[in-house]
Amino acid sequence: MAELSFPLPDLGEGLEDAVILEWHVRVGDLVERNDVLVEVETTKSAVELPSPVSGVVARLGSQEGESVRVGDPLITFEVADETAGIVGTIPAADETPVRRVALRPPDDED
Amino acid sequence: MTATMRADSDGTSRTTQTLSVQQALNRALADELEADPRMLVFGEDVGVLGGVFRVTDGLQARFGAVRVFDTPLAESAILGTAVGLAIAGFRPVPEVQFDGFAYPAFDQIVSQVARYRYRSRGRLPMPITLRVPSYGGIRAPELHGESTEAFWAHVAGLKVVSPSNAHEAYHLLRASIQDPDPVIFLEPKSRYWQKSEVDLARSGGVRGARIVRPGTHLSILSWGAMVDRALRAADIAAEDGVETEVVDLRWLSPIDTATIAESVGRTRRAVVVHEAARTAGLGAEVSARITERLFDRLRAPVQRVTGYDVPTPSGALEDEQIPSVHRILLGMQRVLEYRRG
Repeated sequence: MAELSFPLPDLGEGLEDAVILEWHVRVGDLVERNDVLVEVETTKSAVELPSPVSGVVARLGSQEGESVRVGDPLITFEVADETAGIVGTIPAADETPVRRVALRPPDDED
Repeated sequence: MTATMRADSDGTSRTTQTLSVQQALNRALADELEADPRMLVFGEDVGVLGGVFRVTDGLQARFGAVRVFDTPLAESAILGTAVGLAIAGFRPVPEVQFDGFAYPAFDQIVSQVARYRYRSRGRLPMPITLRVPSYGGIRAPELHGESTEAFWAHVAGLKVVSPSNAHEAYHLLRASIQDPDPVIFLEPKSRYWQKSEVDLARSGGVRGARIVRPGTHLSILSWGAMVDRALRAADIAAEDGVETEVVDLRWLSPIDTATIAESVGRTRRAVVVHEAARTAGLGAEVSARITERLFDRLRAPVQRVTGYDVPTPSGALEDEQIPSVHRILLGMQRVLEYRRG
């Protein structure tokens, strides 16, 4: 298993921090990708943040009522090694190729 | 990291561990950071996040944010910084996050990194090792699966190296970092999670090519992720009684022509396998070297099994671009069944 940290993302409009209103997950929860993790409030609005990965919640970066700056650790997941931060899809073990070619050893005589 | 040092019953500690390629690279970086205080690791997301592929996982926590640090998303600036640090006496190990984003840094690499030793009449080496997650096979978006080795190998002043398994990854990365010259280190990202035995104490040699599997009927010459497919093709060929020698080039510049010629001189047939597009790919260089050395020995023209001359496709179309075991077998059949006219 590997740990994957998810920092508070840039919420746009030049906002630099947000207050944790309510956590929707607890340490130990298994979270699916795009599940709502937390509701945060900025000076503009309250927004719900979806999970970028599937994994088990290992740590919460802040408690409800606390302020978090953009880029600070928001939440840390335990994820399978091969899904940690990956771009793209890790190939499954190569399937046994179907044989469509028969080879013959060479008949070298010179 | 799940690997730990194991102690045998007689109390001697063993140096062989089962590691993934990604863990082996992480270990190599940590060991070099430990060994040389001049060494620095930097790039996009290598610090806090620990790398998009976890290759730099834990290094910032262990060695501090002065030696392992995140950079802005600006590849040209990453390499420009590396040049300045190298001139100032550091040993920079930058990362460019993905092969296709080395293109914005091309100018720095070709115009500065590759030339400083020449330009300074030998007074300023560039002990930079640029790590680049390379090649396709993970169905990533555009510009995340390019095979760039021929670009770099064509530039005099750069060394180019590409490991094919965890043991090779560990020792080749350490050798690259210790090398006084700039090395472009191409990591086969489709192999990052492939585990194998790594002997941390014994490298088995890190210079030149290595013969991975001995054989007598033909030689397959390959590197990076394609070595594994070459071995799988060799396994299938063995069922038909065909003994295939598989050579892992490892160093794509300078190319170890002697080992290639030694192998093909014995087997007298050669197939070069690479993911990159065919035209002006490195397979053409390898093929030309074989022909220059062994024209009279060859029993068949050197065959290339490569990607097609199209931009690297993203998604599932990648499967068509990257040589399959089947296509490698067809290439082998062409050299085995060739008859002079």
